[in-house]
Amino acid sequence: MKKIALLTVLLTTLAFARVNVDATYSTLGAVAKKIGGDNVKVTVLGSSKYDPHFIVPKPSLLSKLRRADLLIINGGGLELGWLPPLLRNANNAKIRNGAKGFLDMSHFVPMIDVPTSVSRAFGDVHAQGNPHYTTDPHVVLIMAKAIGQKLAQIDPENEAAYEKNLANFTKEWQAYLTKYDADMQMCQTKKVVQYHELFNYFLKRYNIQAVGNIEPLPGIAPSSKHTIALIQTMRENGVKTILQDVYHERKTAKFIASKTGARVAVIPHDLGADGSKTLQEFYNKIANRICK
Amino acid sequence: MKKSLCLSLLACASLFANAETNATQVELQKQKAAIEKLQMQLDMLAQESQKSRNTSASFSQNAYLPDIALILNMSAVARDVNNTAYENMAIPGFIDAGDVELPFNKNRGFNLNYAEVAMRSSVDPYFDAFAIFHLHPAAFEIEEAYVQTTSLPYALRVKAGKFKSDFGRINAKHQHAWYFDDQPIIYKALFGPDSISDAGVQLQWVAPTDTYIMAGVEAMQGSNDRSFGNVERNNLYVGYVKSSVDVGDDLSILGGVSLAHGKNTTTNATDVYGVDLTMREQLGAYSSLMWQSEYLQRNMVVDGSIKTQTNKQAGLYSELVYQYNNNYSGGVRYDVITKNDVDLSDYANQGINTDNLDKYTAMLEYKPFPMSRLRLSYSYDRTKVIASERKDINTVMLSLNIAAGAHGAHDY
Repeated sequence: MKKIALLTVLLTTLAFARVNVDATYSTLGAVAKKIGGDNVKVTVLGSSKYDPHFIVPKPSLLSKLRRADLLIINGGGLELGWLPPLLRNANNAKIRNGAKGFLDMSHFVPMIDVPTSVSRAFGDVHAQGNPHYTTDPHVVLIMAKAIGQKLAQIDPENEAAYEKNLANFTKEWQAYLTKYDADMQMCQTKKVVQYHELFNYFLKRYNIQAVGNIEPLPGIAPSSKHTIALIQTMRENGVKTILQDVYHERKTAKFIASKTGARVAVIPHDLGADGSKTLQEFYNKIANRICK
Repeated sequence: MKKSLCLSLLACASLFANAETNATQVELQKQKAAIEKLQMQLDMLAQESQKSRNTSASFSQNAYLPDIALILNMSAVARDVNNTAYENMAIPGFIDAGDVELPFNKNRGFNLNYAEVAMRSSVDPYFDAFAIFHLHPAAFEIEEAYVQTTSLPYALRVKAGKFKSDFGRINAKHQHAWYFDDQPIIYKALFGPDSISDAGVQLQWVAPTDTYIMAGVEAMQGSNDRSFGNVERNNLYVGYVKSSVDVGDDLSILGGVSLAHGKNTTTNATDVYGVDLTMREQLGAYSSLMWQSEYLQRNMVVDGSIKTQTNKQAGLYSELVYQYNNNYSGGVRYDVITKNDVDLSDYANQGINTDNLDKYTAMLEYKPFPMSRLRLSYSYDRTKVIASERKDINTVMLSLNIAAGAHGAHDY
C-alpha cells in the first residue's frame, strides 16, 4: 500500500515536473515553446500590444517570476526600464542575473548599430546596440539554438527531446527562410522611414534603406521641425513607405503620408502585436506589409 | 601583391608616355590614389594584427563600478503665508507649533530640496548593495544603505541596514517617486518626512501561487519619535501582507494590510494599522488611469492623569492620476484626518476649531524625457493652525526633478 502511494506521488510529481519558462516578450516565448514542447510551460511577461521599453511592472508578474525555472530576456537594455526591480522582488534565486536559469539572448545575437559614444543627450540610446533583433527571421535560428542548449542544461533528463525538437524546428525554419528570402528578392520597397528604429535588423537583412525616423531621437516624441525636415528628406529620396508600429501614435505618420503621398504600413514588432498567432504568421505579416 | 602593384604602375607609366591626353592623366591620378589607399589599408591591417588588446589596463576595475544616479530636486513656490509662519505651523493633535520638519519646498521663492546620489551594485553572487546619499543644502544624510540577499531558497529575501520600511504603499518610495510633491498629511502627521525609515532587518517571502501574495516582517530600531521613541533599545516591529490580482490584461489591483508595533516610552505601546489599495487601468501603451488610496490609524498609549489612555487617530489620502501619454499627466489628491481622539482642549480653550482637517491638491506634469520632470501643482491645505489661528494655506508650486546616470526602473 505504502509502495503504491509513494509511486503515485512520484508519478504525479513527474507528470507535473514541467520546466517553467518565463520569456520577457512573445517571440522569445514562441521559440521557447517550439524547442521545449510538452516539457515546458512558457509564460510571456510583456504584452506585445505595448512598447517593449515600457512594460507595466504589474505585481502579478512577480508571482510568475517567483515560480520560473528559466527566464529568457531579450537583453540589450530593452528590459532595463521595468524588469530589474521585479527580478529583485520575486526572490527567485534560480533566475537571478548570473544564475543557471537566466538567459540573455542578446549575448548570442550579433548586435548592430552599436554606438561608439553613448550619452542621453542623444536620447534613449542603448549602449549595447539596437536591441530589436527579433524582427529578423534569421535570428530565430540563433534563439532556438541558445534556448535548446539552455533547456538541456537545466533539464538534462529531457535533453534528447530538446535536441530532437531543435533539429526538427531548425529544418522547418530553414525551409521557411529559403522561401521567405526568395520572396523578399521580389520586394519592391527599397527605401523606408520608420517611427523608432524597430526594424533595422529586418531592413539590413533585406537591403532596404532606412532613410529616417519619425522620432527626432530615440524615445523623444516627434517635433514639427523634425517632421518637416523628414518630409523634405523623403521627397528628395523618393521614399514611399512609412513603417508604423502598433503602439506609437499614428497622427504624425498620417500627416507625413498626406504630404508625401507615402503609405503608412503598420508593422508588428513582436509576435501577436497585431493578431499573429504563430512565428510564421508574424514574419509573413512584416514582409507582406513592408513590400505590399 | 606588391609585384602586381608595381606592374600596374609600369603599365600606367607606359600609357602616359604614349598618349598625352588630359583624360589619361586624370585616369592615372585616380589609379595612383587607389593604389596608395590600398597600400594604407594593407599597412593598417598589418598593424592591427600585431596589436594585442587592452595592454594598458591590467588592473583596471572600471567594469565593477556600481550603477550610479544623481537625482536633483528643486522648486519655485508661491504661498499665502510667510516662511516664519509656515515653519511654526501645527497640525492639531499631531504636530505642535515649531515641532515640524520641513525638508522640502519650505521657502516661498526658490528651493533646492536635495541632491541625491543613488548607488546599486552586486556585491558577490549572494548580496546586492544599495546606498542613497541624500544631500540637503546644509546636511548630509544616509537616507538608505543596505544589503539584500539574492540567492536564498524558498523565495525568501533578507535585507539589512538602514532602509525605508515596506509598510503600506507610499512609505518605501522616495520623495521624487511620489505622484505629488507633498507627503500625504497622514504620513507627515504620524511619521514626519522620512516616514518609517530606520536601521533594522527585513525578511520577505513571495508565495508560490498564481495570485501574487507577499508577506514580510521587519525589526527596526524605532527611532522615529513622532510615533515611537527613544526607549534605550530597539522597539519597532513591522509586518505586512500584500496581494495583487489582474482583471483582464489591463486592469491590475494591488492591496495590502500593514501593522507597525512599537513603544513610545519604555512602557507605552504604539500601534499603527495601514490598509492600502491601488488600481491601475492601462488605457494604451503610454496612457493609464491610476487610483491609489491609503488609510492609516494610530493607537498610541499615553500616560493620563490617573491611568494610561489610548489616543486613536486616523486619516487617509486618495489620489487619482491620469497619464495622458509619455509626456503629460495630471492628478488630484484628497487628504483628510478622519479620527482625532486626543486631548484638544488647548485649541478649544483658544476658540480654535479643529474639525474638518483636510487638504486638496491638483497637479499637472510634463516629462520631456523619462529622466526629467516638471510639475505644476496647487494645494489648498485646511489642516494647519498658525499663530493660534486656523489658517488655510494656498500653495502654487513648480518643481523640477531630474535623474541623471543609471536608469532607475519605472515603479508600479
